Amino acid sequence: MKKAFLVILTILIVSMAFSVTTITISGWPGNPDEEAAIKAAVDEFNAKHSDIQINWEPIPGNYLETLKTRISAGTAPDIFYVDVYFFEELAGKNVLLPLDIFIKKDNFDLNAYFEPLVEAFKYNGRVYGIAKDFSTLALYYNKEIFDKYGVPYPTNEDTWFDLLDKALQLKRKGFETPLVLAADFNRVIPFILGAGGKLVDDNLNTALDMPASRFGIKFYIDMVTKYKVAVEPQQVGAGWIGEALGKEKVALAMTGPWTLGFLKGSYPDVYKKIGVVEMPSLIKKSTMVYTVSWSINRSTPYKNEAWEVLKYLVTRGQEIFVERAGVLASRKDIAAKDTDPIKTPFYKGAEYAHPWRVPTPTGIFSVANDQINSRLKDLFYGKITLDEALKQIKENYLDWVSGK
Amino acid sequence: MKRRTREAIAGYIFALPIILTVLIFTIYPIFAAFYYSFTDYNPLNARNLETKINPQEALEFHLGVFQTDVSSVDEIKDYFDLLSFIKYDVGVNLDENKEKIVLENFDSEKLLKDFVEGKLNKEMKLSKFMSEYLKSGAKYFKRYIPNFLGLENFKKMLNDQYFRISLFNAFFYTVIVVPVQTFLALVLAVAANSKIKGVKFFKLTFFIPSITSSAAISMIFWMIYSKPGILNRFLGYFGFQPIAWLENPNTALPAIMIMNIWTTAGYFMVTFLAGLQDIPKSIYEAARIDGATPGKIFWKIILPLLKPQILFVATMGTIGCMQVFDQIYFLIKNMRNITISFYIYKNAFEYGNMGYASALSLVLFVIILSLTFIQRKLVKETY
Repeated sequence: MKKAFLVILTILIVSMAFSVTTITISGWPGNPDEEAAIKAAVDEFNAKHSDIQINWEPIPGNYLETLKTRISAGTAPDIFYVDVYFFEELAGKNVLLPLDIFIKKDNFDLNAYFEPLVEAFKYNGRVYGIAKDFSTLALYYNKEIFDKYGVPYPTNEDTWFDLLDKALQLKRKGFETPLVLAADFNRVIPFILGAGGKLVDDNLNTALDMPASRFGIKFYIDMVTKYKVAVEPQQVGAGWIGEALGKEKVALAMTGPWTLGFLKGSYPDVYKKIGVVEMPSLIKKSTMVYTVSWSINRSTPYKNEAWEVLKYLVTRGQEIFVERAGVLASRKDIAAKDTDPIKTPFYKGAEYAHPWRVPTPTGIFSVANDQINSRLKDLFYGKITLDEALKQIKENYLDWVSGK
Repeated sequence: MKRRTREAIAGYIFALPIILTVLIFTIYPIFAAFYYSFTDYNPLNARNLETKINPQEALEFHLGVFQTDVSSVDEIKDYFDLLSFIKYDVGVNLDENKEKIVLENFDSEKLLKDFVEGKLNKEMKLSKFMSEYLKSGAKYFKRYIPNFLGLENFKKMLNDQYFRISLFNAFFYTVIVVPVQTFLALVLAVAANSKIKGVKFFKLTFFIPSITSSAAISMIFWMIYSKPGILNRFLGYFGFQPIAWLENPNTALPAIMIMNIWTTAGYFMVTFLAGLQDIPKSIYEAARIDGATPGKIFWKIILPLLKPQILFVATMGTIGCMQVFDQIYFLIKNMRNITISFYIYKNAFEYGNMGYASALSLVLFVIILSLTFIQRKLVKETY
């Protein structure tokens, strides 16, 4: 009797294992809200499908390094996050599955997504991922500090010089560290583009030494070194920009919607004092868009099932995600339902934003990014002049992006 | 079988787990790293040829027509672009050499013919696909073999600014940390060996940092060194301006050195303590009867008799310092202050240059080996 039972149990387990396809999806673990949201989305899918089950398996810490290692070992998840920042490198090495065939077969409508976000995950005319959400940069300010020192709030129409003027007013009136800036290339890009500059020329060589680009970089650096209205977050004892804002050490910061969630959770009192407006502009409006796609592993044995899951994740899954985790929707119809006024400046930014992706001949930008950041840091500390830095960048840039 | 052989076999079987572990996780990686340092190994290429595709679908997508709508090769010939098909639709990573092989040897006609006849509608590995349609040169597509570069990786180091910076930093770090921590550990050990009250408490306090995880210590020191941190507040009483110790490129490395000395001195103190216990009491007594001062006892008795321990501590310290990684990883945000092992990590896992990273680690290995060798020459081992 016992034996018979065991045999039946084994047969049951084996047959179940054969009929159900488990698709492992992976990304970096988010904050508790995001984790709960993704679990809710996964549970809903699993409840509706008997043949496909999703298994959410986040990779904590050093995501890209771990992912690359697992890809090379052949143990990567079936579907995973791809940040637009390293998208080109992965797409160029053919580890992502092109989705065009599936999109065509299913008549899946890519026009339902914001165009810059669709373009962000195209490589050689093929689509390698669909944006799960996005973040743009906007200008945060602390109303209480502005009130206290009697300085007018920033507005959506402010130019760079309005920003500088307001920061200088705060400083003159005794608030020593009005603005927080990071020595990060991606934060300088809105200034480069806002001044009418370019990141790369037509041959994919660097265009940072163009007069307009140079002007943008100079303005960014000058706020730190010449006008002394901006500091790095570490200067005020904060690990990053959001923390500097939360500790009320600064009155102004340019950062993304993730800071909203952070402030709400860790500094609820400060959250109530925060206002958000669009990034200041010069010749034209500009901001950065950071976005992450769901992409399929090219060597997954379950391509069709993975596509079914991906489709769910970027439609109904995204709806759950936007509702519960407060991220910005990459799908226009879901974005239209999202009426939280504090998110408006971020959605507005999506219209003129530039994705955080610098095209290179090989798809590899990480070396150049480190090198440029290192020089930005030197510029913040006055170790080199801007012309020296630009000269070094120009001379070595092609080497850095060569991938050798 | 002889009893002895049987016994030997049994012995090896018992030792097999550890033999295999050492072979797989120690010996093989060393040789692999040596080999990779002469190549352009990129881990993202490793599984490329194992990927499975359906050639019919790939070709349908490439041509923009369904197989069922095509009746002859001539209809589609003009729309077929070999390189873009292989690179992007089939998805084989090609470098210049392989592009050449594909252009010269790929049998496009056969492929298109099979497509029209509907023979392609099956999943197959890229390696199999390539071997089927390449007239020759299929051996280059069997599995991923990185290109052999000879000494190119090593030549590249000569012009690599961050190689120089990171190696210099590692040397600078070692030159300061090793003597200071050795001396400090020695002093602590002598103090802990004396008969003062509460000596156990001191021993424990000195030893605790070395059993604390470096992540925790890094966090504590991050707070100490940050601009509004304790250190700046303390210095503020003496009228010093606050400095962001870890962000300022000039102070970041020394700050980490101090932290490391504090962490490891206690660990090496234990080594010296063990050595001190070995020194016979009669020698101290004889010295004291002859009227030697405590200073003289330290320099003339303790120091010479601790030579083997000093050699051990200096060697281990040098190896540890040349490889310092975790504190740099946690606390340093500036490429100017990185050390060589952090740079190796960056190349291997962030830049995808596993070959170059292997070459760097080979250089580091040679440097550490020769440093250790020199140390052993300078301080002769007595037993």
